[in-house]
Amino acid sequence: MLPSLLGKAFELTFLLSTATLAGDFSLGVLDLNNQALDPFAPPARTRVFLFVRSDCPITNRYAPELQRISAEFSRQGAVFFRVYADNSDTKAAIEEHGREYGFPGIALRDPEHRLAKRSHATVAPEAAVFDLRGKLAYYGRIDDRYVEVGKSRPQAQVHDLEAAIRSVLNGQQPVALHQPAVGCSLADVQ
Amino acid sequence: VNASPTVASLRAALPFVALTLAAQPPTFSHDVAPVIYANCVACHRVGGAGPFPLLTYRDVRSHARQIAALTKAHYMPPWPPAAGSPEFLDERRLTAREIEMLTRWANAGAPQGSPEETPAPPVFSDGWQLGTPDLIIRASKPLNLPASGSDVFWNFVFDPRLTMTRYVRALEIRPQGEPDVRGPSPKPEGSQSIHHANLLIDRVGSTARLEASPGSGFPGMDVTIDRNPLDPESHFLFWKPGTLPYSEPKGFSWRLDPGNLLVLNTHVEPSGKPRQITPALGLYFTDEAPSRFPIVIELDRDDLLDIPSGAKDFVVSDRFRIPADSDLLAIYPHAHYLARLMEVSLTLPDGTEFPLLRIPDWDLKWQAVYRYRKPVFLPKDSIVFLRYHYDNSSGNRRNPNSPPKRVEAGNKATDEMAHLWLQLLPRGPGDRRRLIQTTVLEHKLEKNPRDYAANLNLGALALSRLDAQAAVSFLRTAIAIEPAHPEPHDMLGSALLNLGRLADAAAQFRAALRFQPDFMNAHYNLSRVLARTGDLKAAILEYQPVAKAYAASARIQTEYGFLLYRDGKKTEARSQFEKALTLDPTYADALRGRDLTASAETPR
Repeated sequence: MLPSLLGKAFELTFLLSTATLAGDFSLGVLDLNNQALDPFAPPARTRVFLFVRSDCPITNRYAPELQRISAEFSRQGAVFFRVYADNSDTKAAIEEHGREYGFPGIALRDPEHRLAKRSHATVAPEAAVFDLRGKLAYYGRIDDRYVEVGKSRPQAQVHDLEAAIRSVLNGQQPVALHQPAVGCSLADVQ
Repeated sequence: VNASPTVASLRAALPFVALTLAAQPPTFSHDVAPVIYANCVACHRVGGAGPFPLLTYRDVRSHARQIAALTKAHYMPPWPPAAGSPEFLDERRLTAREIEMLTRWANAGAPQGSPEETPAPPVFSDGWQLGTPDLIIRASKPLNLPASGSDVFWNFVFDPRLTMTRYVRALEIRPQGEPDVRGPSPKPEGSQSIHHANLLIDRVGSTARLEASPGSGFPGMDVTIDRNPLDPESHFLFWKPGTLPYSEPKGFSWRLDPGNLLVLNTHVEPSGKPRQITPALGLYFTDEAPSRFPIVIELDRDDLLDIPSGAKDFVVSDRFRIPADSDLLAIYPHAHYLARLMEVSLTLPDGTEFPLLRIPDWDLKWQAVYRYRKPVFLPKDSIVFLRYHYDNSSGNRRNPNSPPKRVEAGNKATDEMAHLWLQLLPRGPGDRRRLIQTTVLEHKLEKNPRDYAANLNLGALALSRLDAQAAVSFLRTAIAIEPAHPEPHDMLGSALLNLGRLADAAAQFRAALRFQPDFMNAHYNLSRVLARTGDLKAAILEYQPVAKAYAASARIQTEYGFLLYRDGKKTEARSQFEKALTLDPTYADALRGRDLTASAETPR
């Protein structure tokens, strides 16, 4: 029970902080009520952005894996966001997508794709890990299961995102800053 | 003299015209929609097999770059065969010009063009595609597909519960289940998790030994369903995404008997959330019994599959001589994850060679039956040649073993296969499948003389043409390979009975019953031998379980009656004839039996 309680408390702190703290809103990131917010404002040991598309089968296939990763690292102080770049996704659709697949993280909108740009994200699903000081420490694939669209290994052999988060939480640089991701184009949605 | 300046100015103008044309980007309305509507929306529609719809400008624009990339990679639309073989039905292949246009459109920012130019999108119905079926069957038990994990190979079992033989002219396989009777759902599931499904007919109760309980279904990538060799497989009953159900041409119906079960072999991919899958089948009947008799034959090179770890190009091949003029109707190649290039070709008797099918980059996920648009004529003595290439190195990203390891033939996803099924229609009137079938089995024996099934089936075929000597030889070989199987003992008994060797025959029927005490065929046959040797009491005892098992058969009840009559048990015999006549009041033998027993009771 303890880990999930901590997770909830964290979310609550975060939501309170966005309401009270004035942060850097230049990213144009919105919450589901279209209120500007700064995902870098609340203190966090590491921030993980998961760029998703609700209509992308590769994104959806990764939901259980992302759930596993977030369950493991949320209790160690990592904060997860799932980021929607498609403006046509309604609040209800985003919430339904989260519920249906059990996606982890606080849902955000990135209507101008500025967060994606800052994270160098080009496809969904793709992850970006920022360290304590807000520096980009890793961006790219979750793991190496997909070799290209339609070509996947039976199981992932290299778990890049998991390793990167662990490194950052330990105060270390991830082995690689970037591993190209396979998925659905973010630039296709507006 | 005046002409030259004109020519010069034309020359100058031409590059300009070309440039303006090139600079004019394609638009959705004018260029993209017709291509997408013709090639993509059969699956990419709400409730379709594709993961997202591509019906509106907005739909397509939000996948523009992806469409450009995936069509360029020839991943979409999924059509693994390369051009160059005889044309297939429902071919879905974009031209180089179309692919290039889609790329230019994406690069230009996916412009819409004038909306009034957009063609009307095709209209789809989520209901049964051929109208209300004569029989709808739901899988006996659903599959609970987990949210994640490896692909699932699951076999659903359907029980049609027929009370009489029916002829099927068309079949719709709906992996996603029955249409929603409450009307179109706002978010229908479609069949997105399922890539292909193959329906097999179980006529001899094979599923009983594969299932934990009747109807529960069972796992397995490749299923072996036993067939009576005298009633070979005749049709491909296959589902692939986005294809309309196939209606058999006139005369090509297939038979479904009471007691037959249908097994749907599926490949299911977890989609990120748990799903419950209950496929449904819609059957369309005809009163017309089949008058055309195609046969599905299987060529395989599993015997050669011993692929060393790391082998980049391991090749197996096979050649099969066509024994009689035939038409090739459809083709179905099959292998697992290591196969890459698959080639099937035909060499005509005059030496001309042409490809029947070529798949440059085999992907198990998109396997399918391919039907030729026009049947391909295979003259007698032409040769079907197959050559499959396997990559068992770590460079093959689909390799299920990491690190690679030695791989042999088998049914698991980590094993390999080298199979090819062909649907042939022998030319000429009537049922001419026997010759083709015999040749296929002999071909199997050439490759492996200890092939149990080939020996057994050749024995059965020899028996059916009353060549008892040949049958004895094949069946003895089959028994030497699998001594504890009841079938070859039973058939060998029948062959020996044909040769008049009654005591040897009885010994074989008894052997069959030792391995399967409720084997009714063997009880029946043993009873016949005993009756011929004059041991009527033993014959009656042996017939009892048969009469009980076939309580609804007028013929069996009548035969039992005659056995009793011969043994002097007239009253019991008479009650058997009465029983037969309640089942079939016009059954001539039973009427004769009743007359015989009636006169016996008449006081002299």
